[in-house]
Amino acid sequence: MLKDVTFGQYYPGNSLLHRTDPRIKMIMMIEYLVIILMANSVPAVLLGMGLTLFLMVCSGVRFSVLIKSVKPLIFVLIFTAVINLFFTAGGGDPLVQLGFIKIYKQGIRNAVMMLIRLLSLVLGTSVLISFTTSPLELTDSIESLLSPLKKIGVPVHEFAMMMSIALRFIPTLIEETNKIISAQKSRCADFESGNIISRVKALIPILIPLFVSAVRRAEELADAMECRCYHGGEGRTKLKVMKASASDYVFLFCVTAVIVGIVFLNKIYFLI
Amino acid sequence: MSFIQARDLSFSYSPAEPNVINKLNLTIEKGSFVAVLGHNGCGKSTLAKLLCGILLPASGKVLVDGLDTAHEEKSFEIRKKCGMIFQNPDNQLVASVVEEDIAFAPENLGLPREEIRKRVDSALETVGMTEYARHATYKLSGGQKQRIAIAGVLAMSPECIIFDEATSMLDPNGRKEITAAMKRLNKEMGITVVTITHYMNEAVEADRIVVMNQGEIVADGTPEEIFTQVEKLHSVALDVPQVTELLYLLEKDGADTPRGVLHAMDAAEVITKLYKNTRSD
Repeated sequence: MLKDVTFGQYYPGNSLLHRTDPRIKMIMMIEYLVIILMANSVPAVLLGMGLTLFLMVCSGVRFSVLIKSVKPLIFVLIFTAVINLFFTAGGGDPLVQLGFIKIYKQGIRNAVMMLIRLLSLVLGTSVLISFTTSPLELTDSIESLLSPLKKIGVPVHEFAMMMSIALRFIPTLIEETNKIISAQKSRCADFESGNIISRVKALIPILIPLFVSAVRRAEELADAMECRCYHGGEGRTKLKVMKASASDYVFLFCVTAVIVGIVFLNKIYFLI
Repeated sequence: MSFIQARDLSFSYSPAEPNVINKLNLTIEKGSFVAVLGHNGCGKSTLAKLLCGILLPASGKVLVDGLDTAHEEKSFEIRKKCGMIFQNPDNQLVASVVEEDIAFAPENLGLPREEIRKRVDSALETVGMTEYARHATYKLSGGQKQRIAIAGVLAMSPECIIFDEATSMLDPNGRKEITAAMKRLNKEMGITVVTITHYMNEAVEADRIVVMNQGEIVADGTPEEIFTQVEKLHSVALDVPQVTELLYLLEKDGADTPRGVLHAMDAAEVITKLYKNTRSD
């Protein structure tokens, strides 16, 4: 049931993206989101797709793994595409008309756009961040990027620590969920039949033990952290000091250049 | 020289309940290897938490290397000296990558980067996990996770490590790995080891065994001394190692067997001798 969840899982490696400063990757990710959401013309979308492919190659993550990470989202992808296809009106006469269903040219365009956007979002952000950045690097970079906020009293270190622990426990809790599901199934719990309400109700015997155990884990973890001299962010040093190299800046520059390119291509398209 | 000292130690989780630890006195010598034995609910895990200052005594005192655990401002010093390994290997790993987890303690100590690197590498080597440095922690086996937890504490360079039932959630192989690691830490690195356990085979490896029952110490001595008191151990719901039990039963049947035999090979020798004697009679 939960075996295929790859989000938040780090793939150790030594690719170009693995070696890039995580802070640069964070900034690139924000830029990447802007690119994907802004691209509005065919050449611009193609450029965006090119960037996605380029990032995928740079990540060194195997193609099959990437496809697996998209799989759980297939339903969402198809659903949005279909909604866009059938419910977009305008742009001249409908191309196809079957009773009350009208498909317009604009609808096809929107559906394809949405599909490409969503796919790019998932693939791009996962190769940029989750596959190539260890959770600790990720939270370190967030801590470092947000550190100016410390001055106005925002608990940046605590926030980053909470995030890294949450990410660390995702696989553990997934494993535990599977165990609880098996345990309940062996006691004849039925998760597959019945209407939606009874199926949601069937989740309660999974969620309650999961929550109880998560709280217990949290308590033990707190003890273990204290035993290892954790006392908040003050006076803490780091094993890995983040340092952006020249090549990281080149990388950042390229992605920024793509933004400019997209703006330009969007304009051209509308001029034509 | 004593490293940990508990004086008239009492503790209870709530005032309404009876004391979990009751006027307990215990001294642990520097560089010793002590096993604390007891059945479930006898207060041995509570004792472990009191000894390293996670819990504070209701009355009495715990001194770690002369520092009183009740003094809040000393707690950092105490934790640096006395590390702890917990039961569940999953719940004590902080980071998703092995070396980042081991670096957690030295990072907290505020050490310079090169020193952290050095400590991480040497801790990994000590537990024999060097090739796993960049691995994801959740993919390791229970025994390996527990070894990483040990490395994480070692990187703090503590003088004492307390193992709170650290082997109870592991398979027999994992248990062997961890027991061997404990022995190595004690014998080769001179670290004081306190292990809380209910596995007799693990306790046999220690230099000294402390038996607890209902928050009190009921026996204290070398493994040979402790395991000769078979009736006493049975009375506090504890077993003795299988071979010791076997020789005890033989003795009860009138055979002339020595007490305090703890290892299978020694027992085999005793039984062979016994067999030869009966044949020659």
